[in-house]
Amino acid sequence: MKLVGIVGSNAEVSYNRLLMEFVAKHFGDLFELEVLEIKDVPLFNQSDDQTNSKEVQYLNKKIMDADGVIISTPEHNHTIPAGLKSVIEWLSFKIHPLDAKPVMVIGASYYDQGTSRAQLHLRQILDSPGVNAHVFPGNEFLLGKVKEAFDTDNNIKDQRTVDYLESCLRKFMRFVNVVGILDEPQPAKAPEPEDLYATGKIDTTIENVDMNADDWVEQAAEAVNAVEGKTYVKLDRGILTVDQLNYFLASMPMELTYADSNNQFLYYNQTAPAEEMLASRNPSQVGNPLAKCHPEKAYKNVGWVLQQLRSGATDAVRVHVPTHGPDKYVVHNYQAMHDENGNYAGVNEYILDFKPIIDWYLKQTGQELVGGTDGVSGASAKEDKAVDGVSGASEKETETVAVDSVSGASENA
Amino acid sequence: MKKFIGLVGTNSDQSTNRTLLEFMEKHFADKAQIELVEIKDIPLFNKPENKQVPKEVQIIADKIDAADGVVISTPEYDHSVPASLMNALAWLSYGIVPLLDKPVMITGASYGTLGSSRAQVHLRQILDAPELKARIMPSSEFLLGHSLQAFDEEGNLVDQEKLEKLEKLFEDFMIFVEITGQLKSAYQADKKEVENFSWENI
Ligand SMILES: Cc1cc2nc3c(=O)[nH]c(=O)nc-3n(C[C@H](O)[C@H](O)[C@H](O)COP(=O)(O)O)c2cc1C
Ligand SMILES: Cc1cc2nc3c(=O)[nH]c(=O)nc-3n(C[C@H](O)[C@H](O)[C@H](O)COP(=O)(O)O)c2cc1C
Repeated sequence: MKLVGIVGSNAEVSYNRLLMEFVAKHFGDLFELEVLEIKDVPLFNQSDDQTNSKEVQYLNKKIMDADGVIISTPEHNHTIPAGLKSVIEWLSFKIHPLDAKPVMVIGASYYDQGTSRAQLHLRQILDSPGVNAHVFPGNEFLLGKVKEAFDTDNNIKDQRTVDYLESCLRKFMRFVNVVGILDEPQPAKAPEPEDLYATGKIDTTIENVDMNADDWVEQAAEAVNAVEGKTYVKLDRGILTVDQLNYFLASMPMELTYADSNNQFLYYNQTAPAEEMLASRNPSQVGNPLAKCHPEKAYKNVGWVLQQLRSGATDAVRVHVPTHGPDKYVVHNYQAMHDENGNYAGVNEYILDFKPIIDWYLKQTGQELVGGTDGVSGASAKEDKAVDGVSGASEKETETVAVDSVSGASENA
Repeated sequence: MKKFIGLVGTNSDQSTNRTLLEFMEKHFADKAQIELVEIKDIPLFNKPENKQVPKEVQIIADKIDAADGVVISTPEYDHSVPASLMNALAWLSYGIVPLLDKPVMITGASYGTLGSSRAQVHLRQILDAPELKARIMPSSEFLLGHSLQAFDEEGNLVDQEKLEKLEKLFEDFMIFVEITGQLKSAYQADKKEVENFSWENI
């Protein structure tokens, strides 16, 4: 730990200097302490800015480089010496090296309770917004009757005083570390690994039905008495029969997949046989845990996408899958779903070919892509990079497909 | 007519505290004579062994000695008194005692809302220290916040409520000076004590 110790006196003879030098010498095994003098710093004057003077910049740099600062203050007229105040004013005017810096206050005085008032003022000064230091609370160290305090080798005579000083300094070192944590950017909390095997249980999990069964849908429907056909369900906002709901979802110009927050694949809008889909799904896959829908090598990427959505780092992850040739621009969109209270409720993966939409837009507006069709592929080439970003994969085709939260299964099986 | 010193509590070329004292000098001209004193040229205090105070300080000390009272207007720097004012006061207590038993009225101006309130508290504590021992007017406070907007072109205080408060306080100060003038009995003893007082001897 690197500390600097500011001698709060500019006088030729100063007990506060002796005290600081004693701290540096005697506790050299605890920390490295460089003693700084304020003697040559000019008196602060707002209208004669000397922030860039050698003396001010010297202190500025030393303080910036230090982990913490100790200031030893004399007491003059119940406050800190003008020379020390002046230094703090320079260091809070155009520059602010003490901002968020851990600072410990100590003091030596001729008088028995000397510097108690100066130390209080100094704490208040250091706490003011222009200075904004992190002042070490409590642990007041006053060296009173200072003329009798040192022996001929400039060591503090009284062992109990030395012990107390050491305990204060040790606590200050811990304070420096704690404050360091305070000011660090919030460490990104390592997200929980995703349970791709869906071993957990959420309110809606249908129990006692084998998730891996080919007829999971039928078994589960029976287990919960699921309604179907012409039965009405009330929705936000409207009423449809289950049939109507199916027509509606089937008409969506995209492939929809629902995986719940337990990472169980619960639904897809079945409109075509697996081999005709942009990302194939089999009727028998529904109910599977997501692990079973992917080759093992894709787990890492699937897990990453789910973590992003669950943690709220993002509400949508989009991955362009370039394996469909130049006539399509297929994007796998992973959209986080949330309940009324904003809790993560799972992922809506919708797979959509953007190409017809872009073409329609261009036709309607009479615009053209610069560079013709290449414009699209040019864009896709760029997007490929993003795919890499998501998947961390380099073996583009297989890996990118594998990111698909469900579809990998068919290739795997 | 009473003679007061208006001590400008800063070495800055631009100061709303100076403006305030200038305004008081003008506004109260029929009640008292206020002479503004600057601390700009005082060198930095460094506790010289020979206890010799610089002549700039001696001149100020003599003026204070001759005056019936002192009005100190303090800016606020870092929630406290500016170093330049602390510096002046350190010299004014270094083997000389011009402020001993001297009636003092504290005013202050700041750019923000609080009008140097924290600096004024510190200043009271400082003036109470054994080598200064001024007689600070008790239970009174003149805080001028938003001081950059407080004066018009001619340097007059704009806010009428503030002005009224200042007039009342100054009236009180005149009375305070009278009263403390009668508290003479202990002065000689105090003076001796303070002159002989030395932090070196405790
Ligand atoms: C102008 C002046 C005022 C002083 N006021 C105080 C005071 O209020 N309290 C105090 O304990 N010592 C006071 N002292 C005495 C010492 O300077 C003081 O005890 C100091 O902390 C000793 O530290 P140093 O040897 O590092 O200067 C004063 C000294 C001077 C010159
Ligand atoms: C180093 C420095 C520190 C300051 N700290 C404060 C402060 O703590 N509170 C405040 O109100 N103004 C602060 N100021 C701003 C003004 O200088 C202050 O309000 C002052 O009282 C204005 O008085 P003046 O016009 O007489 O200089 C600070 C200015 C400087 C240069």
